[in-house]
Amino acid sequence: MAISTDEIKALARLAKLEFDDERCETFKEEFNEIIEFAGKINGAIVGNSSDIREIVGEETQYAELREDEERESLPPEKITSGAEAQNGYFTVRRVVK
Amino acid sequence: MNDIQTLHAMLYSGDVSSEELTRFYISEIEKSNPVLNSFVYTDFGNALESAKRADKRIKEGKGSMLTGIPFALKDNICTEGVPTTCCSKILSGFRPCYDATAYSKLKAEGAVLLGKTNMDEFAMGSASETSVYGAPLNPVDLSRVAGGSSGGSAAAVRAGLAPYALGSDTGGSVRQPASFCGVVGFKPSYGAVSRYGLIAYGSSLDQIGTLTLTVKDAAFVFDAVRGADGMDMTSSDIEKTPLSGEVGGLRIAVVKEFFEGLGADIKKAVLSAIEEYEKAGAQVGEVSLPSLGDVLPVYYIIACAEASSNLGRYDGIRYGYRAENYSSVDEMIIKTRTEGFGKEVQKRIMLGTYVLSSGYYDAYYKKARILRERVKEEFKKLFGTFDVIMAPTVPQTAFPLGFTERNPIDMYLSDVCTVPANIAGLPAVSVPCGEDAEGLPVGLQIIGDRFKDYPTLSAAHFADLSGITRRKNSVGGGVK
Repeated sequence: MAISTDEIKALARLAKLEFDDERCETFKEEFNEIIEFAGKINGAIVGNSSDIREIVGEETQYAELREDEERESLPPEKITSGAEAQNGYFTVRRVVK
Repeated sequence: MNDIQTLHAMLYSGDVSSEELTRFYISEIEKSNPVLNSFVYTDFGNALESAKRADKRIKEGKGSMLTGIPFALKDNICTEGVPTTCCSKILSGFRPCYDATAYSKLKAEGAVLLGKTNMDEFAMGSASETSVYGAPLNPVDLSRVAGGSSGGSAAAVRAGLAPYALGSDTGGSVRQPASFCGVVGFKPSYGAVSRYGLIAYGSSLDQIGTLTLTVKDAAFVFDAVRGADGMDMTSSDIEKTPLSGEVGGLRIAVVKEFFEGLGADIKKAVLSAIEEYEKAGAQVGEVSLPSLGDVLPVYYIIACAEASSNLGRYDGIRYGYRAENYSSVDEMIIKTRTEGFGKEVQKRIMLGTYVLSSGYYDAYYKKARILRERVKEEFKKLFGTFDVIMAPTVPQTAFPLGFTERNPIDMYLSDVCTVPANIAGLPAVSVPCGEDAEGLPVGLQIIGDRFKDYPTLSAAHFADLSGITRRKNSVGGGVK
């Protein structure tokens, strides 16, 4: 099932990426190839199956949950130290006029 | 080149100080890294400071196995105040405000960080060629890639720029470069090493692993970094058993699907290594795991689905790269991501978004999850009768530079022997077992049952003891 240019643009919007017309064309071919590759599993299971939770068991062994107690967190100055920030808040350029 | 055990003995006998040792590795890096491109960041001043502290500790008798021994970290493992970029433009300038658990454990041991190593951008690739810093080269043959995604870590160890390195393995990213460079690459069971501070790619598959010169060294580093961690609820403690290297009675499964489509030299090297085990008293049986036929698409669907979610956090607001021109916050995020992520990363985010989108979720993601369970079930059954599986690590030897970009699907297919261990969360180790006709290293992969990490390493230790890992050539029926 080949993917269209419009579908690529819609997917890109969902993924917060931008694909201009030129890039869409080159990407389409590559993407169709990988979708075809991924689609091979459709031969392994025919039709729809029941709820995923019925089939997929316990995925991982979880460590014991800790008590839900307040713990010390990293200080805001440290967290904001790698970006534009003011008074412990991240900032972006003013966009509301 | 010296292994960890030898360096430890040298440090404790006073033959060499950690400072001298660190200066030695620094000079090796200065000499070779301009060509090999294994390291993308080094801070020798800090390394020497750590070495001096380690020397003091050793003198006071407070050191442990890794104290004073230099090492390298893959660039997706967070180091407080030290650049951690995942070799991506989008994390340029990022200095984490915390340490990954695995790194803080090494720090606590008094290990000496030399620097951060090259990798595929966000660990997505099999040749480290998607790195924003350019590909690291294979020290065995400079016209070849070091493998990926932990290519810089494997190349650094092989070239003697570091005695050991940490990498990460989501679909083979520790074992494949180890195989390509002729070193030992160990991916522990999922959950055996905390993922806290490992920048996420596919969270249900990611695992921190080791690149070392010997299997024993892999165990030493694993001893230091493993264990349950309150910051990663999927982490747990596992039972430690001794590395005897004794293989009498070891039940080895040879899974026929792993031997399909192999290069002749690789098949020969791997099978002759298994014969050595048999001669030493192991029992070998051939079995079939039919679900392995679906494992690659299953892996790419799950890994990309998780990646599309995990990489949603890169918005240009809190760290790393931010686009210059924008008129709304949404535009800033879109531009930042479009300019900041490389092509392969964008492709995988798009695939992940596609398989999770309504209309395709049932056809791809849900089916992949069901098939993943089938794979796990088949392995579970197999480990009822066998102790380990032996297989090639990669169906090929190191690719020529540029190969993966020209043949993207072939690159995905080359992961066929490594992804099953990630899909099922199993421990797996790649050890060198000979060379192909061109002198390129071939890897023997040993896969064990979940949380049987030490017995798996013990089986692999035999390869060191028997000389399998030092074989120069297995073509033509003999070992040189």
